[in-house]
Amino acid sequence: MNIIVCVKQIPDPETPAASFKVDEAAKKVIPAQGIAPVVNPYDPQATEAALRLKDAAGGGKVTVISLGPDSARDAIKHALAMGADEGVLLNDPAFDDIDNFQTANALAAAIKKIGECDLVLMGRASADWDMGVVPLGVGQALGVPVVSVAKAIEKTANGVKVERVLDDGFQTVEAPLPAIVTVSNEFGEPRYPQLRQIMMAAKKTVQVWSAADLGLGADATGAANRVMPLEALYVPKVESNVEIIEGDSPEEKARNLAQKLRAAKLI
Amino acid sequence: MDFEPTEAQQQIRTQAKALAGRFDDAYWRKCDQAHEFPWEFYEAFADAGWLGIAMPEEYGGAGLGITEASILLEEVSASGAAMNGATALHLTIFGLNPVVRHGTEELKQRILPDAAAGRLHVAFGITEPTAGLDTPSITTFARRDGDRFIVSGQKVWTSKAKESSKVLLLARTTKIEECAKRTDGMTLFLADLDPKYVTIREIEKLGRHAVDSNEVFYDDLPVDARDVVGEVGRGFYHLIDGLNPERILIAAEALGTGRVALAKAAAYAKDRVVFGRPIGQNQGIQFPLADSYAKLKAAELMIRKAAWLYDTGQPCGAEANMAKYLASEWGFEAADRSLQTHGGFGYAKEFDVERYWREVRVMRIAPVTQEMVLNFIGQHELGLPRSY
Repeated sequence: MNIIVCVKQIPDPETPAASFKVDEAAKKVIPAQGIAPVVNPYDPQATEAALRLKDAAGGGKVTVISLGPDSARDAIKHALAMGADEGVLLNDPAFDDIDNFQTANALAAAIKKIGECDLVLMGRASADWDMGVVPLGVGQALGVPVVSVAKAIEKTANGVKVERVLDDGFQTVEAPLPAIVTVSNEFGEPRYPQLRQIMMAAKKTVQVWSAADLGLGADATGAANRVMPLEALYVPKVESNVEIIEGDSPEEKARNLAQKLRAAKLI
Repeated sequence: MDFEPTEAQQQIRTQAKALAGRFDDAYWRKCDQAHEFPWEFYEAFADAGWLGIAMPEEYGGAGLGITEASILLEEVSASGAAMNGATALHLTIFGLNPVVRHGTEELKQRILPDAAAGRLHVAFGITEPTAGLDTPSITTFARRDGDRFIVSGQKVWTSKAKESSKVLLLARTTKIEECAKRTDGMTLFLADLDPKYVTIREIEKLGRHAVDSNEVFYDDLPVDARDVVGEVGRGFYHLIDGLNPERILIAAEALGTGRVALAKAAAYAKDRVVFGRPIGQNQGIQFPLADSYAKLKAAELMIRKAAWLYDTGQPCGAEANMAKYLASEWGFEAADRSLQTHGGFGYAKEFDVERYWREVRVMRIAPVTQEMVLNFIGQHELGLPRSY
């Protein structure tokens, strides 16, 4: 079974609030000094799912793709250390500041270039922007079904059976292959790389493909061609006030609180 | 000259940091307060094969060098695990060096794979209450009895003795007055910590409470002759082979602990507003932290050089000693400044910097005191007369 896993490197979600800054004029997040970026936390679960499906199928290949800067190689190396077979980095200045749709098209082009692929796995969203739309865009570009937010994936005779996480329960769906499945944290803990595998992964070469390698022209990349222009980027100001509700008894305090909330149209 | 780490070294740093990052300050605070060995942390690193990082591949290790081991222990310490985490791992990483270098093939096959997999815990019984750093003055004695030795004596500061089933034990097999040189006549054993003959008494100490340190009393402990490490009477020389890597790794741990303390201080100084501005805007706060940053970077370079010398088979005594000296001096200074930056909160356990401060303080004493390092540098690097 040949599986492609898409992974992303993101700013560390554990970055202290005081270190998180944006350049409002350039509409960019300023990398926090001294805090290295990390693999999107959902992505190792997608890699774990790929490795389990490959093992269950008794063979195949797991290829990892990441679109990002040079440092995104680390996200690919992490998946290789977990046991993935090959890695491809999509790296080109033309990819700077592109939007989700352009990212989806670039990933779809890379998936086509790789060729043989039964299944594409991704994390349910990236924990930086948390939109979760890239998998849908890739599905659209490739013309294949997308099943989102999986907690379990099983290969069947005709395709895959996926258990999805809903707000109020679970849903089981089946999809033909090839398909895209996004993996949620409910899938379970990803394996931690063994030192021996880390050393093997360090020796593996990550291929680097540019926009031209993917057949993407200037009209398909670049910030100027965003489908979804970024109007503004800022850290919202959070103001809080404290008001102590007075009253001679707990009942009176509760009554006064309720009146306040009603006056503020909160209840 | 090339300062760029290899791809493998970069990956080791990234992955060690990621695994250590699964155990947060709250975990270490709890282990420290409860005096509990960090089993979950230990097993995570053992299962992923990290304990054998510097052991030969034929005995289940990864066959890497002290450079890679120092990166691992620096990142473990810098995760907030500090000495509680580093000590739990490092005894296996460098302590068995004499067995790797001088043990019989049978002993290596019997011991090293289990140690590398984390199944076998080995403590180290070298220091004695009356000998201290003057190792040749030890009095623990092993007398020959057919094909075994009978050991009696007392050791102190034996870490992890309560969790260990074996101890790498240094004992005299010839009395000092009968030896041509006072460093002769000692033998290294890999002995069982058999409770029938061994009494362990934990020492209450300033910090690193998750890993016990003990007084250990040996009362006619029988040790099979096949458990002698190296040659009888040459134990001291076998032991000193491992001193330089130990110093380099301890230096890396002090560096990591200094790093986490400094990072906490910088984050707090940015966040904490007093008199209408972040306290980090005041030079009285900012300059000591900037000074510590520069010093830790310098200590790191000395660690890298010492490790590189060791891994390439070159003499590294001066660099290993200086790395330990600088990293423990400046690591502690960084922790002290972090505590000061935090003001009253620095004294509170929930901010964790007091734990780093307590733990990194020991590096100025162990495995060798700062004063003995200065003696070494004075005598061997500057050619001054021996002062002790």
